[in-house]
This record gives sequence, C-alpha cells and structure tokens, in this order.
Amino acid sequence: MALELVDIHKHFGRVRANDGVTLRVEAGELHGLLGENGAGKSTLMKVLSGFHEAGSGEISLDGELLALRSPRDAIEAGIGMLHQDPLVFLPFTVLDNFMLGSGTNDRGIAAEGLDELSDRFGFSFDHDTPVRRLTVGERQQLEIARLLWLGARVLILDEPTTGISASQREQLFATLKTLAAEGMIVVFVSHKLEEIEDLCDRVTVMRLGKVVGETRLPVPAEQLVEMMFGKIIAPTGRAGSSTGSTTLRLDDVVLGSGLLNTDATSLGVSEGEIIGLAGLEGSGQRLLLEACTGLLEPESGSIALGDKDMTGLAYRSYHEAGVHYLPAGRLEEGLVSGLTITEHFVLAAGASDFFVDWDAAADRAAALIEEFSIKGTPDSTAESLSGGNQQRLLLAMMPPHIRLLLMEHPTRGLDIESADWVWTQLLERRDHGTAVVFASADLDELLLYSDRILVFFAGRVIKELDARQTDGDQLGHLIGGRSVA
Amino acid sequence: MKGKYWAKFLAIITVLAMLAGACGDDDDEVSGEGFTFGMILVGPQNDRGWSQAHYEAGEYLQEQLGATMIVLDKVNGADRPEITVDQVVDDMVAQGAQLIFATSDDMKDGIELGAANHPDVPMVWSSGDSAWADGEGYRADLDNLGNEMGRMYYAKQIAGCAAGLTTETGNIGYLGPLINDETRRLANSVYLGAQYCWSEVRGEDPAALTFSVNWIGFWFNIPGVTLDPTQVANDFFDGGADVVISGIDTTEALVVAGQRSDGGDAVWAVPYDYEGACEEKPEICLGVPYFNWGPAYLEVTKSVIKGEFAAEWNWFGPDWDDLNSLNTSGVGFVEGDGLSDDSATALEEFIDGLAGGDIVLFTGPLNYQDGTPYLTDGEVASDHQLWYTKQLLEGMIGASASN
Amino acid sequence: MNDRMRRIGLAVLPIVLAAAVAVLLLLAVDAPPLRSFNLVWNGSLGTTNKLADTLLTWVPLVLAAAGLIITFAAGLWNIGIEGQIVIGAILATWVAREVPGEAYFIIPATLLAGMIGGIIWGLLAGVLRVYGKVNEIFGGLGLDFVATGLAVYLIIGPWQRAGVASTSGTDLFRAEVWMPEVGGFSWLALTIAVIAVIAVFFLMRGTAFGLKLKAVGANNRSAFLLGIPTDRYMLAAFALCGALAGLAGTVQATAFHHKLVPSISGGYGFLGILVVLLAAFRTAWIAPIALFFMALSVGSTQLSLRLGLDSAIGGVLQGVLVLFALLAGGVQAKRHLGKRRVAGATLVES
Repeated sequence: MALELVDIHKHFGRVRANDGVTLRVEAGELHGLLGENGAGKSTLMKVLSGFHEAGSGEISLDGELLALRSPRDAIEAGIGMLHQDPLVFLPFTVLDNFMLGSGTNDRGIAAEGLDELSDRFGFSFDHDTPVRRLTVGERQQLEIARLLWLGARVLILDEPTTGISASQREQLFATLKTLAAEGMIVVFVSHKLEEIEDLCDRVTVMRLGKVVGETRLPVPAEQLVEMMFGKIIAPTGRAGSSTGSTTLRLDDVVLGSGLLNTDATSLGVSEGEIIGLAGLEGSGQRLLLEACTGLLEPESGSIALGDKDMTGLAYRSYHEAGVHYLPAGRLEEGLVSGLTITEHFVLAAGASDFFVDWDAAADRAAALIEEFSIKGTPDSTAESLSGGNQQRLLLAMMPPHIRLLLMEHPTRGLDIESADWVWTQLLERRDHGTAVVFASADLDELLLYSDRILVFFAGRVIKELDARQTDGDQLGHLIGGRSVA
Repeated sequence: MKGKYWAKFLAIITVLAMLAGACGDDDDEVSGEGFTFGMILVGPQNDRGWSQAHYEAGEYLQEQLGATMIVLDKVNGADRPEITVDQVVDDMVAQGAQLIFATSDDMKDGIELGAANHPDVPMVWSSGDSAWADGEGYRADLDNLGNEMGRMYYAKQIAGCAAGLTTETGNIGYLGPLINDETRRLANSVYLGAQYCWSEVRGEDPAALTFSVNWIGFWFNIPGVTLDPTQVANDFFDGGADVVISGIDTTEALVVAGQRSDGGDAVWAVPYDYEGACEEKPEICLGVPYFNWGPAYLEVTKSVIKGEFAAEWNWFGPDWDDLNSLNTSGVGFVEGDGLSDDSATALEEFIDGLAGGDIVLFTGPLNYQDGTPYLTDGEVASDHQLWYTKQLLEGMIGASASN
Repeated sequence: MNDRMRRIGLAVLPIVLAAAVAVLLLLAVDAPPLRSFNLVWNGSLGTTNKLADTLLTWVPLVLAAAGLIITFAAGLWNIGIEGQIVIGAILATWVAREVPGEAYFIIPATLLAGMIGGIIWGLLAGVLRVYGKVNEIFGGLGLDFVATGLAVYLIIGPWQRAGVASTSGTDLFRAEVWMPEVGGFSWLALTIAVIAVIAVFFLMRGTAFGLKLKAVGANNRSAFLLGIPTDRYMLAAFALCGALAGLAGTVQATAFHHKLVPSISGGYGFLGILVVLLAAFRTAWIAPIALFFMALSVGSTQLSLRLGLDSAIGGVLQGVLVLFALLAGGVQAKRHLGKRRVAGATLVES
C-alpha cells in the first residue's frame, strides 16, 4: 500500500503555497515531512485531509484516485489527520468524543472499541471524564484512537509535539512506530530536525512550496539543514562594519512568553552595525526583537537606547525614540488591508492635523511610489500589492531618521530583484548610522549582510559569531542544535 | 358577473338574518349597521388575557349590532415603537371610526391627546379616571372621553375566599404585577376574601393565616427586567404556601402548581384575566376571575348610535343573578375543578352574601399596612377610597410601594 | 457597457425578487397587493402628515446608525447602543423634569444631557473592552440590561406619575421642553439627524481621525505598530457613538413620547446595526435604508387597520426584503471573489 501525491498545486492569491508537490509514502515506514514554517507542509497536509481543495494534481491511495473535497471525504477514504490542537469537544466526555463522527449510537460497541485500542497502545481512559480534564497529550491519544476506530489507514500528524510533555512524546513516538510496523501509512510533519531524526525512517524536505529532497534516515544533520535552507553559495564577508557608539544595550535580559523562555541575554549593538539572528523558527528571535521595541517587557535585566534606560517603557516610547519594527507578517503586522497606499503614507506620517489635504497626500504618495518603485497607484489597496511591493511600501513608510531598525525575515517570499532592492535600502540606512537587527531563516542573507550573527536554539543564544569568520556549514550545524568543536 | 351578483345577494341576506336574530329580542331596537368603531389593544388580540377579552367584546359588538370594527393590537412602545396612540386615533378617525376604545391604562396620554384632537368623536379609555368628576385625573375639558372599568375587586374577593377555604397550611401567596392603586386594590380584595373565609367560614384563627404579596414588576415576565414569575411562584411554595393566586397576565402560577401537584404536593392556584385560563391545569385550579367588557361596551356604543353619548366614568359590576352571563355580567368568576364540593358550596354561600349585601368586606375598621386607618369602624369604603388604594392592608406581608 | 448593464441587473434583481415574494405573501393572506403597497405608501411617505410622522421615527434610527458607522469602523460591535440611547433619554428626562428655564435654554440643555449620558454609557463599554478585556458584545449587552432596568425603576419608582397609567411612563414634560414642530415636522430633530449623518460622512471620509479609526478597526496590530494609540481611538469611537445614541434617546423622549417610557429606545439601536450592515458600512446609504425601514414600519400599520391583516405582516415583509438584500449582497460578494480567483489562476498560468 502507498499514498501518492502527484504535482499538487495550491495557491492563495499570489502565494504559491504548494507549487507542484509530488510525494510518495509507503506503508510500514514512518515518513517525515520537514521544512521551515511557511515551507508549505501544513498546506499540503490540509489538501490531503480535505480541508483545502487542491488547485490541481492527483492524490491516490493504493492506486485508487481520490477526490477529496471535505474532511469527511478524507476520513471516508481512510485518511485521518491529527491537528496541532486536537479537534475535541472539551465539555464532552471521553466516550462522547470517541463516538463523534462514527455514525453509531451504540455506546457499548464504542466503549469496547475504545478499550481494545487503549489496550493495544497502552492508553488508559476513563470513559466518563470530560475531555477538558485531559492533558493535550491524552487528547492526542484519544484522537488517534478515534481516527483508527473510524478506519483510518493513513495517519497524518501536524506538529504533534507542541505542548506535550517529554514522556508523552516518548509514548506518542512508540505508538507511531507500532502503527507503522503494523502497515499503517504515517506522515509526521515537523520543523524540528531532532524529532524527525529520532523518529522517522524516511524524510521529505520542503522549501518555498516545493519538495527539495527526499532521503532515507539517518543522514548527517547538515545535509538536512542544507535542504531546509538551501545551498550556501554566497561568499562571506563584506565591507563596512562600523564601530560607532552604542545604539542598543541589553544586559542580562530574560524574556518569557508563556511558551518559550529565554536565558539571560546580553548584547550591544553599535551605530551602523547589522546583527543577524539565526535559528529555527520560534527559538527566541522574535522575543528578542519584541523586547527591543517595547512590545515585550523583560522579566529581568535592562534595555538601554544610547544612554537612556528604556526598561519597562511602552512601545510608543521606543517608537518615538527612533526604534522601528517590521515583523514578518506584512499584512498582519505592518500594513492595513483595505486602506490605500496614500492612506498608508498619511498614517505613517503620523498626521496630527484633523483635516487631511488629500490632494497633497496623493501627490506625495505618487512621488514615493516612483522613488521606491512600487508597482501600484496611490489608490491601490495594500492587499492588492504583491509581497515585494508590500515590503517596498513598508520601507517607503519608514520615517527618514531611524536609530534602530528591527526586522523579521526582510526578504521572505520576495523574488531576487526585490530582495536585492530591500537590502540596498537597508544598507543605505546602515551607512547613515542606523543599527539593524534582523531575524532570518535564509543563511545566505545572514552570512552576506550581518556583522555578527546570534544563533538561537530553544530560547538560548548558543553562539555569537563574527559573520566574516564563519561559513554556512558551521551555521547550519549550530542552527540544528549541535555545538561545533 | 352573475356569480358575483349572487354572492352579494346572499351576503346581504345573511347579514339581514343575523341582524334579525341579534336585534330581535332587543327592546332598544338599535342597529349598528354602517357604524364603525375602533379598538386599540395593548397586547396581542389573542393573548388569552386582557387584550383578548377586549377583542372579544369588540366581536360581541359586531354580533349584537352589525357594526364594523377596526382593530389594531400590540399598541405599546416595545412592539410598535414607531407609532403613538394619538396617531392611531388619527388613522381610525380618518378611516371612519365613530367611536374609539383605548383599552389600557397605559394609553392615558395618547387617548387624552387623541380626544382633544378630535372633539367630535366619542372615545372610551378603559380603566381610566379622566371622566370622573370626583377622580384625581379628571379632565373636564374632554367631554368626548368616557371611562369603563369592571369592579374586579368582587371577583378577587371570591378568588381569595376560594383560597381561604382550600388552604391546608394557612399560607397563601399573591403573585403581583407592578404596584399601583389598582393592583393594591386587587391584592387587598384577595386578602379580605381569604381572611373572611378562613376565619369566618372555617372558624380558624385569623392570626394563623399568612398572606404574602410579591410583585414581579410588570404584567408579564420580561427577562432581566422583572422578577421571574416561575421563580417567585416556586419560592411561595417552598416557603410553605399551598395556594398561589396570580395577579399577572400569564399563567406561571398555575403551571408551577401543576408541576408540584404532579410531584405529589397538595397545592392549588388561581389564574387571572381570561375565562378559559383554568384549562391549562383544571384539576388544581380553584377558579378564575375575569372581565367581560361586552355588556358595558354595548351600552356605550348604543348611546353613541342614538346620539346620547356622554363622557361618563362607569365602574360596572357583576350580575349577581348570573355571575358568568355573557350578556349581563361585566365581571365574572368561573369555579375550577380544584375546588372541593364542600368548598364550592361554601363559596356559593359567600357569593350570595356578596350579592345580597350581607357581606361587605371593605368595611371598617381596616388599617393600612403602616397602621394608619384606612376605614374607621363601620365605615364602608367609597368608590374613591377603593379606586385610590394607597397601601396594602394591615396583616398582609409585602411591599406597598416600589422603593 | 455590457458589464455595466449586468451590474445594474444584479442590483435590481433582488428588488424585483423581493417585490415578487412580497406580492405572493400578500396574496397568500388574501390582501390585494397593489392596494397594500398603496396603503403602505400613503400611510408612510405619501401624505404630508404621515411623512412628518415617519421622519420623526427616522431620526433616532439614523442617529443610531450614524453612531454605529463609527464603532464599526473601529472594528467594534457596539451592542451597548441600546443602553446608550436609554441613558441619554434618562439624562435628558432628568433635565426636562428638574431644570427650569425657557425653551431656548432647556432644549439645548436636554440635548447636551442626552449626549453626556450616551457618552458615559459608551465609555463604560469601552473601558470594559479596552482595560477590562471584556468583549464589547457581552459588556454592551450587560449595560443594556442595566440601562433598561434603570429606566423601568425610575418610571415606577422615583419618577412615578400619580394615579392611573403609572407604567406608561413619567408625566408628560412641560411644553417648553418639547422639541419644536412646524407644520407637524419636528424640524429641530430632523436638522440634528441630517447634520449628524453629514458630519459622520466627512469624519470617516476626509479626516485623519477617521482614517486612523479605520486603521484601528481593520488591523489593530498594524495600527498600533504605526504608532496610533489604538486604545484611545477605540474609546473615542465608543464616546462618539454614545453621543449620537444619546441624541437619539433625547429625541425619543422630548420629540416623540414627550416623556420617559419603559421602552424608550424603541429597539432603534439594534435596528441600526441591521441598517449599517445592509448599507455595507457606507454612511451615505444609512439615510435611505433607515427611511425605507421606518416607512415600512409606519406604513404597514395601515395593513392591519384597513385590511385587517395580522400585525405580524409588516415585520414579515420587512424580514423578506432584508433577506433578499442580504442574499443579493452575498451573491455579489461571491461573484467578486470568483473573479479574483479567476484572475489569480490566469496569473499562475501565464
């Protein structure tokens, strides 16, 4: 038995989330699907489980072509999906949840089914406990049992280890190994290298909506890192690292967001210096950026801009002190859907007058559109622009004098021309004394533009590198969590 | 063409036959053919309560006189925020209404304005006091606006007596609507009826009767605004009452009592306002006091047709010879199945006593709740004293005024 | 040109359909459709008297809708608007009862008091939302209940009128407080409503304030990162909507009922939400849509009076028309989406 996906395309507007993905999963093998966030893994699995309909392409199970228009179609075809947050009804009891979607009302039969499956995998459930009282790990176990009882032959797990304990993880992995050994098709989706290495027999790596490689495991970690992030072609080292006065100073800053806590971090950033933040997504880079812009108050430690202690001050104070933050989500945390380019410039200028001179504003917008080569008109709305033009707009909206620029993924999703353009802009700012701290998953970008690189792993800065004296291999190793001798 | 002609002919014949039947035994020989009257109702015309009673009176006028009714129901600020009573009066007059009934005390401002705007059109404001020269709300200027109201306090006394005869625990609850002169009057009437039959008929200790009043705040339940009548009724029963008498438009008291009775409790209830109200749970219903507006409205309408209308305040009573007569009794009481045979007999005697004037419960000495005298020794309450009842009576538990 | 014709067709089609359904409905209850339409027309807009009556009910509805344009722009569901109307009416009533003075003084005073009442109640919902993290829908509902309860309490309690009809409301205000009329038209109320709609139109269209409010509503996070004090803007939206709602309450009390009644809001706050949704948040549209609603409400009274139809028929007609308007809106939105999808596909293929 095998599950086959051939040339799957799925586009959201201009974003090609899946761009001709072909994948074959054999029964009896634990198959991993690896890639950074945004690589297209989740989209692919949603296509496979009927949540999204593919734009084009074929899905077949056991040689039989499937038409998956809804999750119901998928489960009827024997494809079961375990979501990051298991879809359970919290106030209902274990048994009620187990019976959901089964079409049977016979509680006796259901109870037998649950007990049998529980025995097989070493789960233990009290049928009448409300699911609210179960841990996330137990809810997963219940969901797996339910999917199996519904007749799933294919089990997809989307980042299942988020939020469960180490022992539950062990138990989950054991269960998955048993299932695979019994001839089940199991697809394990993760962006965590370690887990894939621990668990899977074979791995497919995705990047930018495409499959970039497939291999049997084990292989050396750097090979996987290279697949995930692309081959490092750029030379390292570039002109113009500045050693001006200190712009930003962090002393023993400890951050926490509930999910992730960072160790005490200290950092000094000079005028005109560029710091790259490397690491797997969610390793603490964003927390650091948010702390530097006043969005996240440190649990301890201090933050200073120049000579001024900024610890505990709000975003507005940082904003007014010349700190500018551009998060990754351009339409989520930067631009406003529905508003035009002109309106964005008016907003960015911080218009304090009550009445707006719209003619003048439109003229100014037209001038900036030309200056920043934005493909659009003053009346274009933000969401109608392509990603590259959205990024151009965001840069055009920046005030002229910025002391500290904080960015997440400055060029993610951009074509090469736009990406180059973005860095031209950033370097120009840098040359005028702006300090830049950026997080990126693009090793090229990190090596090419940073003066120093901080490597994050699991909330810790495990290494501070001089970008001129490092290379892609070393960085890849470090990102994967392996210290280099 | 031909068919239409015949239909018309038949219709005329039918109407004539009905008129003959309706007016045959009428001495006045008044015909309402071609006469149009307006009926403004505060609630739905089929509310099994106050508004339906008025609507049925309107139908009675149509039957008796062959008159035409224009009706508009749900005329209140919540259901029809976009219109006011005086606008409805304008519309009805424009449509040819020669007499207009405004059938709720709430319509005071609107009908007074309407009457002032159309001084040539006779109007009736039911339950009002604008035409009562001795009344506090007298409007001498509105000589085209009369008032009609039934002496419900009699039927409420009967209801109270039925409760006093039936209660085993000596604990009676009164589920009151909002607090005003009328509702206090009716609560007092129930109390006096209950007290009389408890002590005078059954010979029990007057002090052993507990009579509590709890006001929900409106004529029916408005979630979040009024108290929940179901809850209040349950509280009464939980507090030891075994009879709950309703003063509100809806039947929660009967429903709750029915549920408890099904659960084995010996409890009873008395609903209000609609002749058929007991039907919901007959076996524990002690009876229901209700209005019958037909006879009074017929009188008014005839006077208008004959050109003899005068704005009068008419507080009409029951027909003691036939309490439940559709044609003569303005206030009625239908006994319920929940009344035992002995009690029914005693109740009949009580009614006879009221009818004959042997029993006059609003006779002094009676004190208000705060101890101030209401009626001195031997004093019989005047209409004025009855109409403008300022407090509950001494001996009753419950609030006399909203704070 | 062809496309334009089709667009017009699509806009007209639901109206035709709705009219057809209305005709069927009327036939089903044995009402002559043409006569019914005629009755509704003459009973609402067709005669001078009725036009005056209808316009007076239009005022509070359009004021509420204008206020809601502002809160919706800020991304807020101001369900508390009913309470804001009620509190506005209560404060206006307090001034009307307690403050002496001639018309030229007392009428502006009631208007001011009504606005203050609405602002206070709006800000309460806003503070709960912004600082208490209470969703404005739940906070608003709670405040609605409190406001209505307060009105009922005042009417049957401290402000109870003597004698009969105590639940119908307070005593009528003295004549100086009544909003002035000319030829039956409550010109002051109408002027206030027209000014309010125009002001909101320009506020949302031309000003920096309106723009920032839109940004806050469309994307709170982006707006915040752009340096807009989003909390303050949300509070301002609540306050402005509350002020307009308070005016609506004042008009209800001093121009329509001439007293405080238990259901003083008339449900115009909730109806206003429907009006704004049907207008797709465009200020210019709320005036005609609100007029249409009130014309139908006022005019359908004639169906009961003249044809003896059940009083529910007006509401059913209204519901049918709203349903078709929403359906039409939905169809257009779907068409729009479909077009974009096609455009996207072409882009990928090329």
